[in-house]
Amino acid sequence: MKSFWRKGATATAALGAAVLALTATGCSPAADKGSTAGSSGPNTTVTVRLWDEQVQKAYEASFKEFEAKNPNITVKTTLEPFSTYFDKLRTDVSGGNADDIFWVSSSYFAPYADNGSLLEIGSEFDSEKSGWVPAAVDQYTRNGKLWGVPQLTDGGIAVYYNKAMLAKAGVDPSDLSWNPTDPSKDTFLKAAQKLTLDANGKTADDPSFDKDHIVQYGYNASQDLQAIYYNFIGSNGGAFQDGEKFVFASDKSAQAFQYVVDLINKYHVSPGAANTNDNGDFLRDQFIQGHVAMFQSGTYNLKNVSDGAKFDWAIAPIPAGPEGRVSVVNNIVAAANAKTTHKDATLKVLQWLGSAEGSKFIGAEGAAVPAVTAAQSSYADFWKAKGVDSSQFAKAAEGKTISAPVGSNYGAAANAWKPIFNEIFLGRTPVKEGLQKAQDAANAAMTQ
Amino acid sequence: MASKRARREAGIGYLLLAPSLFGILAFLIFPILVVIWLSLNSWNLLSPAKFVGLENFVRVFQDTAFLRSMTVTVLFVLLVIPLQTALGLFSATLLTRGLPGSGFFRVIYVIPWICAPLALGVVWKWIFAPTGGALNAVLGTNTSWLTDPALALPAVAAVSIWSQVGYVTLFFMAGLSAIPAQILDAARIDGSGPWQTFWLVKLPLLRPTMFFVLVTGIISSFQAFDSIYALTPNGGPQGTTDVIATRIYGEAFQSFNLGRASVMALVLFVLLVAVTLIQQLYFRKRITYDLS
Repeated sequence: MKSFWRKGATATAALGAAVLALTATGCSPAADKGSTAGSSGPNTTVTVRLWDEQVQKAYEASFKEFEAKNPNITVKTTLEPFSTYFDKLRTDVSGGNADDIFWVSSSYFAPYADNGSLLEIGSEFDSEKSGWVPAAVDQYTRNGKLWGVPQLTDGGIAVYYNKAMLAKAGVDPSDLSWNPTDPSKDTFLKAAQKLTLDANGKTADDPSFDKDHIVQYGYNASQDLQAIYYNFIGSNGGAFQDGEKFVFASDKSAQAFQYVVDLINKYHVSPGAANTNDNGDFLRDQFIQGHVAMFQSGTYNLKNVSDGAKFDWAIAPIPAGPEGRVSVVNNIVAAANAKTTHKDATLKVLQWLGSAEGSKFIGAEGAAVPAVTAAQSSYADFWKAKGVDSSQFAKAAEGKTISAPVGSNYGAAANAWKPIFNEIFLGRTPVKEGLQKAQDAANAAMTQ
Repeated sequence: MASKRARREAGIGYLLLAPSLFGILAFLIFPILVVIWLSLNSWNLLSPAKFVGLENFVRVFQDTAFLRSMTVTVLFVLLVIPLQTALGLFSATLLTRGLPGSGFFRVIYVIPWICAPLALGVVWKWIFAPTGGALNAVLGTNTSWLTDPALALPAVAAVSIWSQVGYVTLFFMAGLSAIPAQILDAARIDGSGPWQTFWLVKLPLLRPTMFFVLVTGIISSFQAFDSIYALTPNGGPQGTTDVIATRIYGEAFQSFNLGRASVMALVLFVLLVAVTLIQQLYFRKRITYDLS
């Protein structure tokens, strides 16, 4: 919003200003970044783009070893924040500015695979393939071909809890259950209410509870697909998608959404969505600062919690729904840019990342669970040595699961439902009505 | 001989012009042509662009979100421009009086304008935060400034005004100090009080400055993007802060409809040229006082 126009040059100023608006949608000319030589050159630089800072550190250690074994290849990593990762990736792939290797998630990889932007993970990987988590291979197989080398497997979802807060409230988190229709079977809500305190120390189930001055929240209900609502949908026997079609407005799913929204707006055991709709890390930070008792999340926050929390904490299973505990599982792969100018070196780096030797670094510092099965023990070992029992995540992944959303136009679909979900979670749009609207908008965007 | 020299001089002239000419061609003219071409195509950044004729135009003009964003943009401009101009003029009048501390305030007013709007957005986001935010802490309220549909647009407009006022002030200060002292002396001798002097002497003499400030202000308000995007992503509550620039961005880089986004950009382009021409006509009709 700045203007630098000279006095008197009005018409030009108007034109120029308007043009700036136009250039925002134009594309920048391609510039080949990070490639210093062709594939046969003596010094090839392969670049790897990812969004996780903890894994970036692990990669750097891993690539040091790779470079020692392959002195003519240098590997560089680029970090892009997750919030804008997929917006930027799309533009960069289109403009030819993307890295040789980049992470993609299951929800976003389809258009890249469909449009020939990725190299197929073919026979060059026959010796590594058998060592990969089968669910990850399935998730990234599209039209009979595999489109990425599995890197992380998120395990399932579990609940981090503040030990002192739960002990004080007398809550045992090991077997809580929720029920959208029968309050007598709902132990989870009661626990969350006991753990929510106002400034006078009253709990949320107390009639004199002051909802305007809450100092401690029981739980992190919010518009969080992976950590929260997907699991509630699964545990209620609902579905988010049928194939690529969105069905989240169906009865079972709507019940689950209603339950989550009520935790926020009716029972006040979670902070209002005005805090969380646009800030995915708000509740993690609140938990780490000691303002939230139970924080439902995945392995991707284990390192953050472990580094940040200055109190005793532990990990419990997610609350069981009418259909038991159904957790979302997700895997992340590293994919190869089809436009890479040094395919051989790029494939070599990918083979390394797909080997137990190369991916053991991911688990060694506890950053994430490697999707190469033989390297997974490094993760458990790290956390065991720290005195943290991380087994709940693995248990959740071994139990009943619901797979993450997919689609050829997922980004546009998510963009279509997001503003409507915002209103639902703020309590301004009735759940059922909003979900139907969001579902129609998402399906229209998906098939446009 | 002379013609040869003239030609050589012209050659040198073009040579000297070349860098800026290249800049204008590469960064202004070429992108306009690309956007016009894109507006006739369906393109999702990954698959090859497909020619669709005027379909994008039809879809955009039927798109309620786009029509809403036009309304929001006009409301935003109407909120920002009068306040920003009046506040700028007011503070310029105060600062040109040579009162003690003027230099200090001059710097303070301009600082927000120098700062990166996105960074300001992040700071203001914290100020407006419903839990732990500065504004609620000071007022002792529990207001959701940025997620309440009635408050979100005034809130982002306030941030915009706050960041632009210093810039506007600078121009009015320059305009005010360019008014010759003898004119003001003459007015005083004729018995004009400060209020009359302001309305009948200073304000008419400030017309060129006013024109410039209004034109640039309106253009930049129509294009407002960064701080609005930082404060209220996804178009704000119920789309109440979904100005045209954020709509274009969302359509292009989140929904990947480059064709439709280009149509919207063209609409903005035509609108800005039209608004500016109207302003120019209006100001040209009025008398300007040539003081030279």
